[in-house]
Amino acid sequence: MSKHHNDINPDSCTACTSCISHCPVTAATRKFRGPKMMGPALERMRLSQDDVEPSLEYCSNCKNCDMACPSGVPISTLNMKARAQYFKTRKQSMRDEMLGHGEKMGKLISALPAGAFFANLGMQVGKAFGIMNAIGISDKLPLTYAGTSFIKQFKELKQTSYPDKVVFYPGCFINYQDPQVGMDFVAVMQANKYEVIVEEDFVCCGSPLLVTGYLEECEQNAKKNTAIMKKWTDKGIPVITCCTSCGLMLKQEYQELFEIDGLAENAKMLYDATEFLVNLDEKGRLNKEFGAIEHRYMYHAPCHLRVQGYGLPALDLLEMIPGLTIENADAGCCGISGNYGFKADKYDIAMTVGAKLFETIKESGVDTAVCDCGTCRLQITHGAGVKAVHPMSLLRQAYEAKK
Amino acid sequence: MKENDVIVIGGGFSGLMAAAVAAKRGKKVTVLSLGAGTLSIASGNVDVLGYDKNGKPVANPKAGLSSVAADHPYNKIGQKSLEEAVQFFLELTKEEGYAYKGSLDQQQWIPTAAGTLKPTCLVPMTMDTSALKNASKAYIIGFESLKDFYPHLVAKNLRNMPGYDQEYEMLMVDPKLPAGRDVTNLDIARWLDSAEGRKAFVAQLRATIKPGSVAVIAPVLGTAPSHAVRDELEQALNCKFVESVVVPPGITGHRLRIMMLNHVKKLGVKVVEHAVVTRGIVENGQCTAVVTEAIDRERTYQAKSFILASGGFYGGGLVAEPGQAIEPVFNLPIAAPTTQEDWSNFQMFSNEAQPFEKIGIAVDETMRPVDADGKVLLNNVFIAGRNLCGYDFCFEKSGNGVAMASGYKAAMSV
Repeated sequence: MSKHHNDINPDSCTACTSCISHCPVTAATRKFRGPKMMGPALERMRLSQDDVEPSLEYCSNCKNCDMACPSGVPISTLNMKARAQYFKTRKQSMRDEMLGHGEKMGKLISALPAGAFFANLGMQVGKAFGIMNAIGISDKLPLTYAGTSFIKQFKELKQTSYPDKVVFYPGCFINYQDPQVGMDFVAVMQANKYEVIVEEDFVCCGSPLLVTGYLEECEQNAKKNTAIMKKWTDKGIPVITCCTSCGLMLKQEYQELFEIDGLAENAKMLYDATEFLVNLDEKGRLNKEFGAIEHRYMYHAPCHLRVQGYGLPALDLLEMIPGLTIENADAGCCGISGNYGFKADKYDIAMTVGAKLFETIKESGVDTAVCDCGTCRLQITHGAGVKAVHPMSLLRQAYEAKK
Repeated sequence: MKENDVIVIGGGFSGLMAAAVAAKRGKKVTVLSLGAGTLSIASGNVDVLGYDKNGKPVANPKAGLSSVAADHPYNKIGQKSLEEAVQFFLELTKEEGYAYKGSLDQQQWIPTAAGTLKPTCLVPMTMDTSALKNASKAYIIGFESLKDFYPHLVAKNLRNMPGYDQEYEMLMVDPKLPAGRDVTNLDIARWLDSAEGRKAFVAQLRATIKPGSVAVIAPVLGTAPSHAVRDELEQALNCKFVESVVVPPGITGHRLRIMMLNHVKKLGVKVVEHAVVTRGIVENGQCTAVVTEAIDRERTYQAKSFILASGGFYGGGLVAEPGQAIEPVFNLPIAAPTTQEDWSNFQMFSNEAQPFEKIGIAVDETMRPVDADGKVLLNNVFIAGRNLCGYDFCFEKSGNGVAMASGYKAAMSV
């Protein structure tokens, strides 16, 4: 069993305050008592009694506390477990019900003819009549559904078959909101002589469920996804994500939270697309026939990537494209942290957290940002007023520029 | 990407110093870092040698070097490298626009939040006390609701300190922060990062502070490694501020860390965050790679040389177990008293060092690890910082000095 497993000892915390100093939510609001108090300090109480600390709702699960901790305490996971415990005896708000179950909405919309059109129209109407705000969802951040889901588009796609195969885990955001990222990923893999398999039975990774306290539902999803992934990883076929939060959930948070057969084995074969491609390069197997992209970009590293401890492979890849200039914004959390910034009462905090990033991007004068995370990209466009693309989209563009 | 000249294990002061020096020498460097370390919550001062082995204050750090024990890291690093390290660091701080002040020839005694004096060697300009020493009267500025800095306590004790026996007047500023968790110095520093915070600060003090005066304040003049906040407030109030040393979170340490990170990134150093290095791959006394372990799998990082700046017991670079201390990456031998009961001096406040503080890795003069007979164990691995043996940083006040100089020496040896 991994030493990171869910047998978390809060006494590993030496109360050094490093997590508080690096918590972006703590910096943005005095209402949050901070990760040390919420996580390890109160965990000791929770072990003996049902202790409720109201400011727990302010934790965004962005994991900057975990990154700052010198003692390896998974502070944010302690917070999420405590949140789940809180909701064991209480009911979530309609807002949390909706934000936690984005997949339900996506499924419904993509099953209806012109569903996305009406859903997006509905959001406009909802905004106009103040319905969104009334249930506690900020109407300032635009969240639109794609006309055709990734799964549908993928089914129409004719791939070249290759002996090397990977399974793609699209996740809800790519499937329903931003299917182009998935399609670009498939194109990039095809350019590298890989055939992409997509399992229609994959369900939401559970990240939005976890942060809204639906731990049991999250576990159900974990069990489903784990079983499907195991079918492939047993055969030595890797599973790839293009969403760093999905990747973190599948690889790490499942193991921190649940005991399910196959978790550790799957995790060994789970890759973020950018890391997978960098590894191909190390084996001399990466197609480097990139055409030039004469353009300057600013990169934002999602917190849920940084915490995975393997650096920023997107930068290593994009630096290979001739003509392309990319700078690391290195400006901390964007604030959105999954569905946190969509909550009406957290919207201002999320915007304060992201302010440094927005300013860095604006000052740089770039017209496009690059980021591996879907909701980060939404937040960047919202806060900095520039387009934001996934690294896969630029790689595809570079391959096509060569043709 | 994973091909490097140098891999530095550890992103604390010694690791970042080593990365900066190696990168300046044209090396391709990657830092594998875990946690934000002691650096970000400490005082950010560079203590070189505050007290000798008998606990007597050292007036001149350079002269004091002759008094340290034979196995002290300074005796491996050598005075010349220490001097070069100081020079390198002072230039780095100037280049980054957040200059430090001091020299090996002069101990600086700076005020703490308890009103005592702490010996140190290099301090950020915001902690320069020369204006205070020349003033016949000074203010001590506190903040309502801040528990970590009481002006009355500072004044009461500081008055009894040599060179600080001037008249003090206490002033309180009310940041009117919204209710919530306890207020720390970091909260005040963030308040002064904001334009409205600075405006309110000036408005509350303008009528009281006499032009041309000096004020002692907690290290709250902004969170960034920059003098912008200090300069604006000093100009608006025509008053010179002297920041004191406080309990964690110490903002000056946070500034030092940000400055070092900014600097190494400009030099093209890659910093991998949250990287847990678990072992090295060694063949015939030569390390070819180190391995990180995340919850998903291991990853391998190759390099020509490695600098192990993984910290002491607090940072995880050394691990204490029943009966032994271990160095978990290379499993290097650790010089420690054989009986564990002898690790501690049970008289906690006595005038003697703590044996456990001196536990660590023994090195040769290039900072390579050696065994008990002085034989080099790894040809291309160099040790820097808190995992070195032979010094009690807390007792003698030498922590960042050893970190800075050993980081420098290790990076010059690669």
